[in-house]
Amino acid sequence: MSMFGLGRPQPSSAEKIAAAEQEMDLVTDMFNKLQQACLKKCIPREYREGEINKGEGVCIDRCAAKFFDVQLKVSELLQAEAQAKGASGGGFGIGGM
Amino acid sequence: MDGLTAAEQREFQSRMERKQMKEFMGMFSNLVSHCFDSCIDDFTTKSLIARETGCVSRCVKKFMAGSERIGQRFQEQQAQMMQNPPPGR
Repeated sequence: MSMFGLGRPQPSSAEKIAAAEQEMDLVTDMFNKLQQACLKKCIPREYREGEINKGEGVCIDRCAAKFFDVQLKVSELLQAEAQAKGASGGGFGIGGM
Repeated sequence: MDGLTAAEQREFQSRMERKQMKEFMGMFSNLVSHCFDSCIDDFTTKSLIARETGCVSRCVKKFMAGSERIGQRFQEQQAQMMQNPPPGR
C-alpha cells in the first residue's frame, strides 16, 4: 500500500490476524495428527481398564518422539529433493516449464 | 501472535474461541464413533448393557488420559523447538 515504494508495506490487520490464525491451525493440526496416530498405535481397542497402563504410557512417549523425528526427517528429505531438483534443473526461473 | 494491537488481539481471541468450539465438537464426535466402534457390537438389546456402559466409560477415560500424556510430550517438543529450531527454517 506504500505510495512511495519505500520499505516493506505494513501488513494489514486482517493479514496479521490471518497469519496468527494460520500458525495456530498448523499447531492444532499437528497435535491432532499426533494424537490420532499414537492413540491408534498404543491403545488397544478393548477397554478392560480406564487407566493408561505402564506399557501404553511408554508406547505413547516413544510414539510421540518418533513422530517428531519422522516430521524432521521428512522435511529434510523434501528439502534435499528440492535442492537436487534445483541443481539439475538448471536453477529456478530459467527454462520455463 | 506478537505485534498485534489490542483490537487485533481481541479479534484473534474471538476467532480462536469459535475454533476451539469447533475443535471440541469434532473431538466429541470422533470419540463417540471410536468408543461406539470399540465397545458396541451386540444388538440383542435396545439399551446399553452393563458391559457396554463400562467399556464406554473406560474408553472415554482412557482417551482423556492418553491425550493428556500426548499433550505433555507435544508441549515439551514445542518448547524445545523454540529453544533450538531445526536448521533450514
